[in-house]
Amino acid sequence: MRLINETSKAKIVNNLIVAVLAIYGISQKKFTLEEPTLFQRVVMEVISPMQKGISDSHKSLSSLWENYISIVDTSKDNVMLKKKISRLESDLFGMEEIRQENLRLKRLLNYSTEVSEQRVLAQVVGWDSANEFKVIRLNKGKADGIMVMSPVITDQGLVGYIYRVTENYSDVLTILDQNNRVDVLVERTRTHGIVEGVHNFKCALKYVMRNELIEVGDKLITAGVGGVYPKGIKVGMITNIEKENTGMTLAVEVAPSVDFDKLEEVLVINPQYSVQAAL
Amino acid sequence: MRMKFSHLVTSFSLTLVLMIIFEVITSSLLPAIGWFEYRLAFNVLVILFMAIRLNAPILPWLILALQLVHSAFSIEGWALGTLAGILVMILANYLKELLQLTSPIIAMLTALLFQIIWFTTVAVILCLKISSFEQFGTILWSFIPGSIVLAVLSPIVFSLMNLIWRVPAEGFSPGVEI
Repeated sequence: MRLINETSKAKIVNNLIVAVLAIYGISQKKFTLEEPTLFQRVVMEVISPMQKGISDSHKSLSSLWENYISIVDTSKDNVMLKKKISRLESDLFGMEEIRQENLRLKRLLNYSTEVSEQRVLAQVVGWDSANEFKVIRLNKGKADGIMVMSPVITDQGLVGYIYRVTENYSDVLTILDQNNRVDVLVERTRTHGIVEGVHNFKCALKYVMRNELIEVGDKLITAGVGGVYPKGIKVGMITNIEKENTGMTLAVEVAPSVDFDKLEEVLVINPQYSVQAAL
Repeated sequence: MRMKFSHLVTSFSLTLVLMIIFEVITSSLLPAIGWFEYRLAFNVLVILFMAIRLNAPILPWLILALQLVHSAFSIEGWALGTLAGILVMILANYLKELLQLTSPIIAMLTALLFQIIWFTTVAVILCLKISSFEQFGTILWSFIPGSIVLAVLSPIVFSLMNLIWRVPAEGFSPGVEI
C-alpha cells in the first residue's frame, strides 16, 4: 500500500517536472530559425545518411527507368532539343547585348553594384516528419559553406530559406510552411503583399487592398525587402481571388512556381552583397 | 509483475531504434514514393502504447527522450509532443481498465481517439504560439487522413511494441525495480 502511494507521488512529481520543462521549451521555441542543440546535431549527423541512402536508392531506380527502359522517343527528343538549343543561343546573344548596354548605362549614371554570391547545389534527402511543418532536409551543411537564413531556389523559383544547419546537413523552411512569410511584388502591377504557406501545398497572398487591380494568372516575384531573399525570384502565380464582404483586403490563393512534389535538387545562395551607390 | 531496470533499458533502447526506423520511413521513404501531403506520426503511437501498457513513474522522462529524438526529424521540437504525450498519458492512466488493446478493432479505435486528443492539443498550442486561431480548423483537418492510416496500422505497431516490452496481458503493476 505504501509502495503504491510512493509510486503515485513519484509519478505526479515526474509529470509536473517534465510538463513544466515542456511548457518552458514551448515558450522558447522559434519556428522561424533554430540553432540545433548538440544532441540534435549528433542525431541528425548519424541518422541523415539513412535518409540520404533512401533518397539515393529512389533516384537510382528512377534513373534506371528513365535511361534504359523509357527511351523510345529519344531520337525525336534529340532533334527537338537541338532546335531549342539553337533558338536559346540566339536569345543568349540578344541578352548579352542587353547586359553590355546595362553596364554602359550604369557607368554613365556613376552607379555600381557588385553582387558576389556562392551557390551550392544540394540534394533533397527528406521531409519534416510532422504533418504541420513543410520543411525539407538537404545533404549539404556548414562544411559546404551553407549558412542559416540563406535563400534556397530551383530553376522554377523560390523554395525557402535555411532554418537550421549542421556540419553536413541542413533544413529548409519552405514557402509552403505557415511560419515562412515572403515579401512579394505582383510582377504586372508592382503591388506589394506577403506570401504565407497554407495547407494542401498552396500559399496565400495577404495584405493586398481591395482596390488593387490584380488578376488570376498574375505572377509573383520576391520584393527583396527584409534581407533574406534577393529581389526578382519567381514565387508563384495567383490562382484565385475572393472579395470578402467585410475587411479591407483580398483573399488571394497562390500556386507556388516550384513543383514541390518533384523536388530533388536545389540551389542554396549565400549572398555577400557589396553595394556601392553613388548617385 | 514488476519491470527490472535492465529490462527497461533494453526495451527502451529497442523502442528508440524502432522509432528512428519509423521516422526515416515517414520523412524519406514515403515522400520518395509520392506520399507528400500527409505525414504518419508514429511517435504518437509509440508513446500511446507506453502510456497505456506501462506503469513506471519515469514514463514522462521516457516520453521526453523519445520526443528529443523526434526533434532531429522535425522542427516541431521536443516540447510540444512532450506536453501532448503527458496529457495522453494522464488520460490513459484514468482509462487504463477500459483500454486493454485486446482486439485489432479496439486498438484502432483507441489509437484514433488518442490521436485526436494529441493533435487537438498540438493545434491549440501552435495557434497560441502564432497568436491566431484562423488556421485551427485547417491544421486539425490536415491531421485526419494520416491519423486514420495510423489507426489502421496501430495493431501492427502495438504488436511490435508488445514484442519489445514483453508486456503481459494484464500489464505491469506500479513501480520499477532499480
